[in-house]
Amino acid sequence: MVFIAIIIGCVLGVILGINAPIISYTYSSYLAIAVIAALDSVFGGITSVLKGNFDMKIFISGFFCNAILSILLTYLGQKLNVDIYLAAIVVFVGRMFTNLTIIRRYYVEKWSNKLKEKYNKKEEVKND
Amino acid sequence: MKKGKIVMIVTIGIVCFILALVMSMQFKVVQETDITSIETMREAELRSELSNWKQKYEEINEKYEETSKKVQEYKEKKQSDNETSTLLQEELEQINMGLGNTNVQGEGIEITLTDTEDNKIYADNLLIIVNSLRLAGAEAISINEERIVNMTDIVYITEKFVKVNGQRILAPYVIKAIGNQTYLESALLGNGGYVDELKISGYDVKIKKDKNIKILKYNDEISSKYINN
Repeated sequence: MVFIAIIIGCVLGVILGINAPIISYTYSSYLAIAVIAALDSVFGGITSVLKGNFDMKIFISGFFCNAILSILLTYLGQKLNVDIYLAAIVVFVGRMFTNLTIIRRYYVEKWSNKLKEKYNKKEEVKND
Repeated sequence: MKKGKIVMIVTIGIVCFILALVMSMQFKVVQETDITSIETMREAELRSELSNWKQKYEEINEKYEETSKKVQEYKEKKQSDNETSTLLQEELEQINMGLGNTNVQGEGIEITLTDTEDNKIYADNLLIIVNSLRLAGAEAISINEERIVNMTDIVYITEKFVKVNGQRILAPYVIKAIGNQTYLESALLGNGGYVDELKISGYDVKIKKDKNIKILKYNDEISSKYINN
């Protein structure tokens, strides 16, 4: 069910996004930062699911608040003539890599555990 | 299914929808942005372009100012040239007047010498009068409409006539002089003035002051063959 919801959401989003009016290049940097923040939230959510401490409220609030805050920070940076969006990108992408590492380790460990179990089972069968 | 799970699924769907929407919009923007079209250009690029143009404008403005300054200079030069030429023209006129190349008029005196039976007028008398007038600052002199110029000769020929500028002139002699009337008159009439002497000697001499005496120009051309600078 979850996967169906994800697929339907993605397809609808892509269709609407392609048909949406083109926005100015000036504002596209804000949008890019929002995308990065949202992706970071998604990977964080996946990590927390794997760890078992996933909370819907935290995920949703993080998803929107990170995006909006990053947009605001970028705006502030442009007003102050400081490239704050660079800091936001560094933080978000760094966290994304950390989360990806955690996800990768989880699955690799799971896989190797499975292999080990299989091996142990074979050994047991041999011994028997 | 539990209610909480449905809510969760719907929420995740919405989140995915928003994420996909934003991402695809961003992809589209990046893909379709034409960097040459000014509307979608970044502010920074526009700013640099603007500063470029401003610089160019300033350069051209500088050039323009330089050129207009040059034009101004040339105009001034032209003006001064004009002034010089008018000055030269005036000078030329002045010199021509002095030389006797033009008809002139102005305040002055007219002296009429008439022969009487006892006293004939000779060239010497005329010469002395002309010299006296020149001393008194006469600016133009003529005898019987013959202009006295720098090369004028006043020569005794016979008792009947005198040659001035190579032209015979006969009595009565009319000497016209332009200059300060008082000076001219006093030079002739004052103490020891020549006209006085002539009058005492019994000559017939009349002096008439006039506000507007006309003196004709020298008839011949003033030419020189032998003098060099």
